[in-house]
Amino acid sequence: MKKYKYLSVLALGASLLFASCQRNLLNPVPQTSISDASAFSTLSRIQASVLGLYGALKNGNLYGGRYVIYGDIRGEDFINQTSNLVTGSDVWALNPTNSATAVVNLWAQAYYTINSCNIFIDGMNAGGSAIAGPTLSANYIAEAKLIRALCYYSLLQYYARPYADGNGSKPGLPLRLTGIKGVGQSNLARSTVADVYAQVIKDLNDAETGLPLNYSSAYNNTTRAHRNTAIALKTRVYLSMQNYSAVITEANKIVSATAPFTATSGVANALQADITQVFKTPYTTTESILSMPMTSTAGDYPGTQNQLAYYYTPVASLGGVGNGEYSLNANGIIADPTWLPTDARRSFILQTGSGSSLKYWLTKYKAPSPYTDYVPVIRYSEVLLNLAEARVRSTNTIDPQAVALLNAVRNRSDAATTYTVASFASANDLINAILKERRIEFLGEGLRNNDLMRLLQTIPAKGSAQSKGPNDVGYIWPISANELALNNLCTDN
Amino acid sequence: MVVVGYGVQKKKEVTGNLAVIKGAVVADKPIQSFEAGIAGRAPGVQITVPNGVLNSPPVFRIRGTNSISLSSYPLIVIDGVPSFTNDYSSTNAAANPLASINPNDIESIDVAKDAAATAIYGSRAANGVVFITTKKGKAGKAKVTYDGWVGFSNPYRLPSMMNAQQYTNFKNAAVANNPTQSAVQFNIATGANGAPVNTNWYDYVYRQGISQNHNVSVSGGSDNTTYYFSAGYTAQQGIIRKNNFDRLNVLFNVDSRVNKVMTVGGKISYSNEKNLAATSSGSLSGEAFNTAGLGRLALVLPPSISPYNPDGSYNINGASIGYANIVGTSVPYYNPVPQLDLNRSNNEVNHIQSNAYLQLKPLNWITLRSTYGIDYLNIDNDLFWSPVTGDGYSYNGYASAIFGKYKTWVWTNTAQFDYTFAKKHNVSLLVGSEQTRRTSLAYGINRQGLSDPNYNLIQAGWINNNATGMGYGENYLLSKFSRLNYDYNKKYFISGNLRQDEYSALGVKKGTFWGVSGRWDISKENFWSSAKLDHIFNSFSIRGSYGKVGNIAGIGDYTPYSTFASGLYGGASTLTFNTVGNPALQWETSKKTDVGFSFSVLRERLSAEVAYYRNNIDGLILNVAQAPSAGLPSNPPQNIGSMYNKGVEIDLNARIIETKNFSWNSNFNISFNTNQVTALAPGLTNIQTSTSSLETVNRTAPGYAVGYLWVVRTAGVDPETGRRIFLNAQGNKVYYQYYAPSGQFNYSNADGTKYIGPTGATSISQANDAVMYGNVQPKQYGGWNNDFRYKNFDLNVMLTYQLGFYVYYGTNAGLHDQRFWNNATDMLTQAWQNKGDANKLYAKPVFGDNVSNGSAMPLDINVFKGNFVKLRNLSVGYNIPQSVLSRAKISRLRVYVSGQNLAIITKYPGPDPEVSSNGNSATAQGVDRNTAGNARTITVGLNVGF
Repeated sequence: MKKYKYLSVLALGASLLFASCQRNLLNPVPQTSISDASAFSTLSRIQASVLGLYGALKNGNLYGGRYVIYGDIRGEDFINQTSNLVTGSDVWALNPTNSATAVVNLWAQAYYTINSCNIFIDGMNAGGSAIAGPTLSANYIAEAKLIRALCYYSLLQYYARPYADGNGSKPGLPLRLTGIKGVGQSNLARSTVADVYAQVIKDLNDAETGLPLNYSSAYNNTTRAHRNTAIALKTRVYLSMQNYSAVITEANKIVSATAPFTATSGVANALQADITQVFKTPYTTTESILSMPMTSTAGDYPGTQNQLAYYYTPVASLGGVGNGEYSLNANGIIADPTWLPTDARRSFILQTGSGSSLKYWLTKYKAPSPYTDYVPVIRYSEVLLNLAEARVRSTNTIDPQAVALLNAVRNRSDAATTYTVASFASANDLINAILKERRIEFLGEGLRNNDLMRLLQTIPAKGSAQSKGPNDVGYIWPISANELALNNLCTDN
Repeated sequence: MVVVGYGVQKKKEVTGNLAVIKGAVVADKPIQSFEAGIAGRAPGVQITVPNGVLNSPPVFRIRGTNSISLSSYPLIVIDGVPSFTNDYSSTNAAANPLASINPNDIESIDVAKDAAATAIYGSRAANGVVFITTKKGKAGKAKVTYDGWVGFSNPYRLPSMMNAQQYTNFKNAAVANNPTQSAVQFNIATGANGAPVNTNWYDYVYRQGISQNHNVSVSGGSDNTTYYFSAGYTAQQGIIRKNNFDRLNVLFNVDSRVNKVMTVGGKISYSNEKNLAATSSGSLSGEAFNTAGLGRLALVLPPSISPYNPDGSYNINGASIGYANIVGTSVPYYNPVPQLDLNRSNNEVNHIQSNAYLQLKPLNWITLRSTYGIDYLNIDNDLFWSPVTGDGYSYNGYASAIFGKYKTWVWTNTAQFDYTFAKKHNVSLLVGSEQTRRTSLAYGINRQGLSDPNYNLIQAGWINNNATGMGYGENYLLSKFSRLNYDYNKKYFISGNLRQDEYSALGVKKGTFWGVSGRWDISKENFWSSAKLDHIFNSFSIRGSYGKVGNIAGIGDYTPYSTFASGLYGGASTLTFNTVGNPALQWETSKKTDVGFSFSVLRERLSAEVAYYRNNIDGLILNVAQAPSAGLPSNPPQNIGSMYNKGVEIDLNARIIETKNFSWNSNFNISFNTNQVTALAPGLTNIQTSTSSLETVNRTAPGYAVGYLWVVRTAGVDPETGRRIFLNAQGNKVYYQYYAPSGQFNYSNADGTKYIGPTGATSISQANDAVMYGNVQPKQYGGWNNDFRYKNFDLNVMLTYQLGFYVYYGTNAGLHDQRFWNNATDMLTQAWQNKGDANKLYAKPVFGDNVSNGSAMPLDINVFKGNFVKLRNLSVGYNIPQSVLSRAKISRLRVYVSGQNLAIITKYPGPDPEVSSNGNSATAQGVDRNTAGNARTITVGLNVGF
């Protein structure tokens, strides 16, 4: 009996010793984020992932702010006020180093966005497409390719020699087209500029095929890519490649033959009668082909020291909402006498102080902290001017259609000026008028750098900053120091 | 008996390396948690109390720093349940969870150091294991005790700062040396009584802290049931104004033998702690450069301005202090007085630690035991910034409230078999299993823009509301373990420990850890006595151990997983790739060797233990950056680095004098430790660790001890011109002047030509010119404790020391900064003034100069040897004679006076070389940047037993 008691106690002990363990707890599933293994397992996750690609593009270091800002402050129309390296005083002075904030962060964010696109495309091919179905799947992959193309194109504008220099034969970018989720893939050499442009065009062609013609809301038509977005971006890319016939081919798909110039298929993209409406809530007119939307919820605005209105408008006491990082160059485009005081686009200029403290500021973006102005990526007026320029350059004549396109942009803000073919002595005159119109029309929209680069023009001096010719150090940016340190195959500029 | 993990053993039979500290050494001390009281008490145990903020966790290392990116804090096991460690606060008041254990309730602190002693804790053992055992009752009549003290704390060795007149004259002279700043003018403000202002900012930031502590315990029991019950209350004031620590705690331990076979028991401990602070002290990790940091404000603010306007209102200018009397330069620092008056940065901890066990002894050699324990920590953070001025000004008022809930449960089942064969073969076998589950949850709200200026609660009316402090985590550790002890006739001892852990937070979940050890008691050998060695040695034994353990402390809960996080795009939900996991990630591996011997001589009046150890750490987890063009959102963790610690420990105990009326017992211990990083990751040549993101002075690189100081060298001040002389990377002299007249340069060569460095640089920079300069890990440390007794008097003299390390006294750069900052008085004599001034420490004062004396980049002139010897404790007690007490039915009554940190011997110029601006950081020790130093405390107390 006693023995039996002991045995039962021992049995109890043994069972306790190997007491019921909960092995499932060894493999916890993250509850506040989604494991990469299941990111493409439902349609709602796939949809959120697509928007996540736009979210990455919208980051303050990229199209949420800084990419656009750098494009303008490299040019001659802004004057640095704060000498702050964090807000790009070195970019403005055309001498950023390999480890400059701008050089390192923009590179990293653009490639993060590219890798996100690659992972998305891989994920769709690996099963996501089956869940989304063929139509949506094609749409979403097209959106990812468009964003990838836009990132590569944007990186080329700062980190590589212009296409015009040797027809794209110069070093371009490490071209990464498959998703990276772990270690061991740091090393990759730079492809040529031409190779990267070819990939950009390929992606945009694929996007044109795969994107929907339009969405059901004006909001989505502005904040997500549709077919016309891919075409519009191609006019920009081909212009940078100086492939003017391709610009014409693409633009003609979305610009009617006669005024008023509008897109006749897909989203009815068109100029608005009043340009100031484009930069006001709800920011979703048909002129804004693609813009980055902002809200006042944390994480959904550009973030500290990335906001256009913070850079370009003065402090509150001077009537702005920002920090007055950059004023308009009094000797820049605003000094141009042909830009008439009655031009509606002059309403974006704020004058403060007098005498030696007289300053001009750009107020195109004016939403107060947390700075919820939508940031334009591409507007319809650019397509018109791209087409106009391409027509003049490809025919080398004072092309009447080009004059009409230029007038469309000029007249809507300045009824007093109407160009005719007779206004121009030469094709070159007309080209210069178009380039000047671009400076006026897109002031603060980040296009100035690209326009100087694609034509291999000298970046003019401004304020204390000296000019940079196409062969000067500083004409393009150096490569990120972090990339050079960790990618053994990457070379500096 | 010592605690060895899942059991106890006789100290003499322990084969691993274990140090024993009696609970009495931490009782009745003006400390918040026990670790702060064990410095110098055992070899291999290194404690650094990092600052004077109450309840900030001490830097606690056993045998050096054993990790780079994970924690080096030892595993703390309280009555069998691993505890939370480090700071759980989200505010500026520190919250060390170990403060929930009332030091007066601690029976013993057993420190396991080598692989043999720690391997039973497997993957968590690399940093050592500390076993805390709380007091239990003994059979017999109920014993009631009361222990109480009152304490007075003061700051010490604060830098001597200029007064208003000295400051104003000195700064105006510096302005005269800088023609570009001629518009700047310093004047002295006029105070309320019409007299010139002369503010000693120490008076507004520091105070004499008055503390009190009371404990009552009742213990006792019958032959079958024993209990211990205690209640404690402590209310401590720190030396920084508004920094308080209040704790209420109770502990109940009970053990009951139900019958011959079954025993049950358990413990309940509850503690409520209020950690209070008004604002940042500038002393906790991450705070060093806070504009609100009180330690910094007391130094930086001009003595020529007052915290109050003549009408009694606060002297403020928007967020900062008002400085109407200073022209041409701004004073963008806060006025500490309204911050202390109006702001809060508090937290409140509720902490329950409890366990219950059932033990069966079916045969006298079999013990089965099942224990279930919990540790629940809840913390409520309450932060408020007034809109009047300071941090809350730009928000028009700011508050956040964060609640955190941290829970552990542990279920341990063991079977122990003790058997002696043939009278000489003693075998003890332990087998067990354990599950440890931890969950964490935190949430909070951040509110900005007060609706009414009189509100100061988070629940009041506010304009903007955002989520803050969101946290969620879980982990699970599933373990099996075993220990086999064998000895032959108490002469040869061998022991083996084995543990298999499976941990949810790793990619490779399963790991096996082990330790083997042996001891040979030579003095029991016949040859020993035949050689007559027993006439010299009362005992002599040698021991050794080797094993492999791991470290997972502080690793994230989901490291194997690559994850996508939710975000927003124009108000719509997004998913973005945000974390790169590593499905192959495993624990850091620590291979420990330990050999030593111990002996006693002179009829056991002198005993000694000597040990040599070497700890090779492999697979250190580092977050290794990939090329940015790979586009990864985070640096993936990899097991890649390696490091070692090696050293010698000597522990001497002596009963020097033993007479009826007088005795003197002494313990001396010293530990020698050498730390070296041997490898980082490919492409990762060094790891720089910043102090509060603004200054980087610690660099970890292969071939050096972890966190080596990395500074620019100088070669004094040029007697001719008063320029600072820097040394560039090649050791060439470069002369620096902040103001360069036309035709001269800021940085020039000795001949006055423009400096152009080998890489084309035209200035000295830390990136180009700094060198690996000094080690911050003490090479020797320990303590010397003396207990004297003369009749009814007792005297304790406890010295602690740390030697062989450097401290970067970053504060010193600020004390000699030539902006509007106030300067130390040594600037009056040690700054270059006239041509020919030789051997000056500081450059010619030029207003605005933040380069010459170390603010812009860390310089060697601010690196000092940290060597110190501290009179850690001095106490004198008197036991009231029994003859007096027995009439009052009191069994024991002792009164005492005790002092902490009464004296310090050091050449370190700052308040205290025992300091860390970066808390427990493994890679950023040895930095003193704007830290409020430790307190000197005098306590008066009594111990009563009934």
